[in-house]
Amino acid sequence: MKWVAPRSGFDEVFDARGQARAHYAPLISILESFTKEDVERRERLQQLTLRSQGITFTVYGEKDGLERIFPFDFVPRIIPAPEWKSLQDGLVQRITTLNLFLADIYQEQKCIKDGIVPAALILSRKEYKRELLGLMPARKIFTHVVGTDIIRNDRGEYLVLEDNCRVPSGVSYVLENRNLLSRVFPEFFGSYPVRPIKDYPTLLLETLRFVAPRRGQNPVVVVLSPGIHNSAYFEHSFLAREMGVPLVEGRDLLVEGNHLFMRRTHGKRQVDVIYRRIDDDFLDPLAFRRDSMLGVPGLLNVYREGNVALANAPGAGVADDKSVYAFMPSLIKYYLGEDPLLPQVPTYLGFRKDDFRYISEHLDQLVVKTTGDAGGYGMLMGPFAAAKDRESYLAAMKKNPGNYVAQPLVELSTHPTHIRGKFEPRRVDLRPFILYGDRIRVLPGGLTRVALRAGSYVVNSSQGGGSKDTWVLAPRDA
Amino acid sequence: MILSRVADGLYWMGRYLERAENTTRLLLVTEELSTEVLGLDENLARGEWDDLRAIFPGFPGREPAARHLAGLAAATLLGLSIDPDNRYSVFHSLKKARDDARSVREALTLEVFINLNETYRELEGYTRRRLADPATFRGAMQSTHRGILSTVGAIEHTLTRDAGWLFLKLGESLERVFRTAVILRTKLPALVAAEPKIDLPLFYSQWRSLLRGLSSLENYRKAFGARLEPIDVLQFLLFDPQTPRSVRYGVTAVKEHLDRISSASELSPSVRIVGKLAAELSYQGHDLIREGQSLSFLDHVLGELGRAHDALSAEYFGT
Repeated sequence: MKWVAPRSGFDEVFDARGQARAHYAPLISILESFTKEDVERRERLQQLTLRSQGITFTVYGEKDGLERIFPFDFVPRIIPAPEWKSLQDGLVQRITTLNLFLADIYQEQKCIKDGIVPAALILSRKEYKRELLGLMPARKIFTHVVGTDIIRNDRGEYLVLEDNCRVPSGVSYVLENRNLLSRVFPEFFGSYPVRPIKDYPTLLLETLRFVAPRRGQNPVVVVLSPGIHNSAYFEHSFLAREMGVPLVEGRDLLVEGNHLFMRRTHGKRQVDVIYRRIDDDFLDPLAFRRDSMLGVPGLLNVYREGNVALANAPGAGVADDKSVYAFMPSLIKYYLGEDPLLPQVPTYLGFRKDDFRYISEHLDQLVVKTTGDAGGYGMLMGPFAAAKDRESYLAAMKKNPGNYVAQPLVELSTHPTHIRGKFEPRRVDLRPFILYGDRIRVLPGGLTRVALRAGSYVVNSSQGGGSKDTWVLAPRDA
Repeated sequence: MILSRVADGLYWMGRYLERAENTTRLLLVTEELSTEVLGLDENLARGEWDDLRAIFPGFPGREPAARHLAGLAAATLLGLSIDPDNRYSVFHSLKKARDDARSVREALTLEVFINLNETYRELEGYTRRRLADPATFRGAMQSTHRGILSTVGAIEHTLTRDAGWLFLKLGESLERVFRTAVILRTKLPALVAAEPKIDLPLFYSQWRSLLRGLSSLENYRKAFGARLEPIDVLQFLLFDPQTPRSVRYGVTAVKEHLDRISSASELSPSVRIVGKLAAELSYQGHDLIREGQSLSFLDHVLGELGRAHDALSAEYFGT
């Protein structure tokens, strides 16, 4: 088997001298013991399994919404226990802060009064829901589930790239990748103390039940999905199945007497907690977007009355806004009196005049993003864009500077990935999942997304990305 | 008790799976009979294809009738097997069943989904060009048929017998008896009009193919022996209490599922309609056939089944 040497950035497996890092050495020797034919046969089995089980996502914009298999690379990413420990501590600190911040901006707004964040920055965002001012969700938890995107710079330092506080997806692939790899390459697991992740659905259900309004009784939890045509539908259905709770669509729910019910064949049943996988704007046509066919009329009133819990809480999206991100280090300091444990990427804010001038003068060195979008949409990769694309992007930016942020291009770390018979370096990121229930728990694993195209920085599934199984190793003496 | 939408999805999944099975089987049987009689009686062969188009009315109305039999046969075979736009094609039914399965996946087991998904994917892989070869066509349909039966087996062996299962089986049984009645209603006029004239073997092949088209030839032989008497065949397909594709058996199955689903002490409209129909079928018999009432009776059965579908949709699915 041929290994292609990394050319730039930090490689997860090989050090600068081309030697395998200690925690990868056993894996490499196992991989070396396979012939090319063995590997190809296993890869075919892997494809068949993904296809026959219907483990897919939907690509928008094609006829009928095409179902695609999320490409899976069988070379696992391995994270040693001490590295994970510091990641985990940093994430707990961050999620704690995000929730304190959300509670603050929907109540007293002290961080604005104390000049930590500019009022305009928060109040102007469409993700900030004025309708919810003064409303505290059950147990003061706004973000029951967060997926934080993490990258490594060319020194191998872990940096937070963004927090996803709305409806982060990908956890079903984390679990399915592990199932798949243990079936297709069981040999890998013998030499490593890989921490299990199978109990995620149980923990998710506990997290959701923790905020149920009718305590003491057996609360009814449901997963709310936009339906079969949504790109993450597989995951919605997967999580409902794994938790053993109903998967519902908006049309299955109705509001009566300020309580929420689901329509069943023989009468209705009250619902206590919704793990909603639809955006705020579509939740309730009476409160937000009137044209929403996905939501439930009157849902927000039921929520306001405290008769149903929503996870994540409506309005939480403002916390993962790309310009709020720039203030996270100061917010951590402000609420916790601590220094941030995890560094993040320097960010220039379009709404600041000086920053905007800097962005427009250095467009060829920066990655520019719109504040509201996710999934790699609406992004300009300055260093790779054609001059005329940069110009037209700049023209659009000038119309609404506050809508943009820019960051220097971070050289993502690379990881050997099996590409047509060879192991080639490809750029990766990492999305750990964090649950906030009776306490904050970080799933020991995560979604490692990989940019399968040579040279590409874009890991999103909608744009040619794949994924890897991610192993967090147990501490040696645990 | 389950969500109305999930009950609806499972009911239709049951219907589409059953429909796909019926279409596959009839395609195979018709292709075989048509090949057998082609040299003997071209009109008879043409009639078989026309019947098939009447049983599965998914072809556009204004499509010019093929002048050559070969063209008619090929268009019908391809149209009802893989044409995604023909709403009675096997492909269309499997796609619908799979869409329903995806939308109610939490009510199914992995085994059910995998069998259905693989059957669908395999058929999706065929092109019109490949299926133009008769041997490939037969192979593809036989394999699809096996796939559907193994999906049904997975349903039988892995699903919990809860309300969801009942709705799935309700859809399956209603589709089955409805299609049996449609097949009989389509084929009977020509069959009873054609007295055994000159060609006795040909006459009997048609009755045999009717039984095969309803998966009932072996079962008929067990009840009546190898001798095919039209009145016995009709008696068997309409009123036999044991063979799973007779009208009587089918309506009884629908009734049993509906009885178990409905919990109310008062009879619901759908239970009333199906209950009456099941009673009629239990007490009808030879006389009706002798008096030449079969066709009007079948019309009555079809009408009542349609009403039962409307009533149960309103009762349980809110549609």
